Amino acid sequence: MVRAEHVVMAGSVLALAVLVVLPLAFLGWGSVTADGRLTLENFRDALSSRLYVQALRNSLILGLATAVLSVAIGLPLAWAVSRTNVPGKPFIHFTAVISYLTPPFLAAIAFVNLFSPRAGLVNRFFRDVLAMPGLTFDVFSMAGLILVTVPHTFPFVYLLAASALESVDASMEESAQILGAGRWRTALAVTGPLVAPAVLSGALVAFVNAIALFGSQAIVGLPGRVFTLPTRIYALFDYPPQYGLASALSLIFVALTVAALYLQRRYLARRSYVTLGGKGSRPQLVDLGPARWGVFGFCAAVFVVAVAAPYLTLLAVSVSRSWGLHFWENLTLQHYRFVLLEYDVTRRAIWNSLILASATATLAVLLGSFVGWLDLRTTLRGRKLLDYVSLIPLGLPGIVVAVALIQFWLRVPLPVYGSLLIILLAYTGRFVPLGVRSANAAFRQIDPSLEETARVTGAGWLRTFCSVTLPLARPGLFAGWLLVFVPALQELSASVLLFSSGSITLAVAVYNLYETGALGPVSALAIVTMLIITAALVVATRLGRGQAGIPRGERGAVAQ
Amino acid sequence: MAGIQIERVTKRFGAVTAVRDLSLEIGDREFVTLLGPSGCGKTTLLRLIAGFMTPDAGSIRVGARMLSTPTAVVPPERRGMGMVFQNYAVWPHKTVYQNVAFGLEVRKVSRGDAQARVVRVLELVNLAGLEGRYPSELSGGQQQRVALARSLVVEPDILLLDEPLSNLDAKLRERMRWELKELQRRTGITFVYVTHDQSEAMALSDRIAVMHGGEIMQLGAPRLVYTRPANKTVADFMGLVNLLPAQVVTFAGDDSMVAVGGEHPIAVALPPGTVAGQTVQVAVRPESVRLIPLSAAGTPGVVPGKIAEVTFLGNIIDCYVTLDDGTRIRAQVDSGRVLEVGQAVGVEFDSRQASVFSA
Repeated sequence: MVRAEHVVMAGSVLALAVLVVLPLAFLGWGSVTADGRLTLENFRDALSSRLYVQALRNSLILGLATAVLSVAIGLPLAWAVSRTNVPGKPFIHFTAVISYLTPPFLAAIAFVNLFSPRAGLVNRFFRDVLAMPGLTFDVFSMAGLILVTVPHTFPFVYLLAASALESVDASMEESAQILGAGRWRTALAVTGPLVAPAVLSGALVAFVNAIALFGSQAIVGLPGRVFTLPTRIYALFDYPPQYGLASALSLIFVALTVAALYLQRRYLARRSYVTLGGKGSRPQLVDLGPARWGVFGFCAAVFVVAVAAPYLTLLAVSVSRSWGLHFWENLTLQHYRFVLLEYDVTRRAIWNSLILASATATLAVLLGSFVGWLDLRTTLRGRKLLDYVSLIPLGLPGIVVAVALIQFWLRVPLPVYGSLLIILLAYTGRFVPLGVRSANAAFRQIDPSLEETARVTGAGWLRTFCSVTLPLARPGLFAGWLLVFVPALQELSASVLLFSSGSITLAVAVYNLYETGALGPVSALAIVTMLIITAALVVATRLGRGQAGIPRGERGAVAQ
Repeated sequence: MAGIQIERVTKRFGAVTAVRDLSLEIGDREFVTLLGPSGCGKTTLLRLIAGFMTPDAGSIRVGARMLSTPTAVVPPERRGMGMVFQNYAVWPHKTVYQNVAFGLEVRKVSRGDAQARVVRVLELVNLAGLEGRYPSELSGGQQQRVALARSLVVEPDILLLDEPLSNLDAKLRERMRWELKELQRRTGITFVYVTHDQSEAMALSDRIAVMHGGEIMQLGAPRLVYTRPANKTVADFMGLVNLLPAQVVTFAGDDSMVAVGGEHPIAVALPPGTVAGQTVQVAVRPESVRLIPLSAAGTPGVVPGKIAEVTFLGNIIDCYVTLDDGTRIRAQVDSGRVLEVGQAVGVEFDSRQASVFSA
């Protein structure tokens, strides 16, 4: 007899094979073959050509610098929020969240408007108004690339460090104090080592994310001839495409990411000791005295650079006829009229992105539920392996997923390449780990006895899953859905290699428009994109709240 | 000399007064326990002594040294005290040795000296041989000893302990109780001990300060606090107690008579100022209630009643007796007795063990 869990298992295996395993296998195969014979020449080319070695070096520099700066910004903010009486804590938290949610390629476009060598507003101000050309800054450089990347990555350090600082029990530090250690000694000997794993782990996540961002690296890096792995891989798809070399470079890229993630997991595993030891008390907040305004000033500066500058710039550019020091003198809505009414790509891109993001989120959470359920509720062989495989995409930058999918679907006689479907496959593959994690966490909250009760009462497996497990897990699953939906809506790194004119997405539309040099319209479209993301978030949260169904109190009781 | 003088200390948290105008003098080498239910202010008082908090009024001194006033507080790291926390707070990233040696490093004790002292103190708390272990490899009891050793190795004059045994299981708790007492005798350190467990307090302390609502209700030796509670709150907190409504028949100081369970007079000591006819409450512990054959009823001091409930607990029998007027009394008697529900018995009170409070 075929049992339900076997069906779920077979379905999950098939899905993960198509989404992850086969494309990766073809990527590997493609990297070691040329003209149908086995060879290592792709790797030799990749590692001997100055072009690619330099891209690798640039990616490393970008990743390391971003990681270090993310700690330099994220850690003080985390400390200020969790341990001091700094004013405006909600504002600091808001800054970190908005910085993270801002698509990095939009921030890059904004900074180009401020700091491009000749037309950048700030540069013009220093050069033409103040006659101090020494103070100009060229955004088309490694420094510029780091500047536009850090706002997106410091929130990782901030969030991890803040939660670690908050979970260190006050008595850990008080024990050191009563033994005679002053504040600095306590921080060095006790607090530091206890939160270091979380901070390092945040820095490594920042590293992995920073090097994978195609958009900002293309927008800011290419004009300054700062090539990185994603932009080099992208360039290999210009005619004539060099699939073999692209595959080899992709695998090198993956090795870098996987190494960083491996370190990160090791650090995170050591973090477990932060929560050691029963019920805790929160540490007393440090009274900074007047210095708290200095700390607040630092937070405000981060807000200005990471949030205010990009958004205000995009807004200003989008309503001015010509960008310059006197941009407010002829304001216009023509750019909005153009992108919304005249530019026929926009509407298609909006629809495609909304459909793709919704479908991806649904598929990722569904598949995640299957994998999570198999892992936690069955004893089938291979369920752990399934879980591991589903997490592989964490180590795959978007552009690598795209290269792998191209390698696979070009060899399969199905008309998938160039369709919306291949983008859906890319997104689902990329974001399935988020679905698995969320589902796993949601199912863990549900005591198996609740399901067993349903079975004992006579409900079949499917009925139990639909009427007990799913409703109870729904809030957690919905959170996972949002977690996938938001990044999918702004995905660029994979889409940029996979789109065709029919399957163009929002981010690609912005990027293409930017490439034409139309700064006004591209800013208008960027603002529209942000509005759509915000609106989608609001609607989705509303819907989710209405659907959650179970009042909070009961949920708490169930969780126990 | 490491006596502690707490004078009229008040500590408020917003609208809540955690410690109210409290004075307490703790002698050198004394073992004093702050006992009370959660929220009584005992931990706040301990943290005030440690210097983690600033009093809103009053002062704390050790010997001639002023440590805390509302305007100036010597920080914890310069008080030279030791403290053991409820959750042990053993540093998970340091080995047992590193945990214990930390205080000596801070004091810049030479490496060789430090090593000798760490070894000695680990022997003292029965942890010899575990120097290289990490806390995650230790049991709760062992972690507790690490915390203790870490505080003892710096040879403080005063050791503050915040419910150090409450996270241990019952058997271990009892053993650690003995060890703590023994340790205090041997080291001569002044112990200030916080707990909500009255049996722990009685087993350990030279004196107990029973706290309630931020104030000390009674301060005294364990036996005194148990047998002569100052008020109903203390009587109730120090163990099981019957509070019997009674009417004063005659007032004659220690040889007064009150009537309980209807019209049955018993002899008790009454506080001065009590008058005949007044309603009072007699507090008597279950083990001070004797059940005797009914034949003796009618004799002075014996109140007739009926057994309502009997629970066999192994070492004792726990039972409830209903008096004529419906008053229920709990009694704990020798487990060799044969008692049946419904049986008529005479109830006799050990009047020396009874306290009387105004109703």
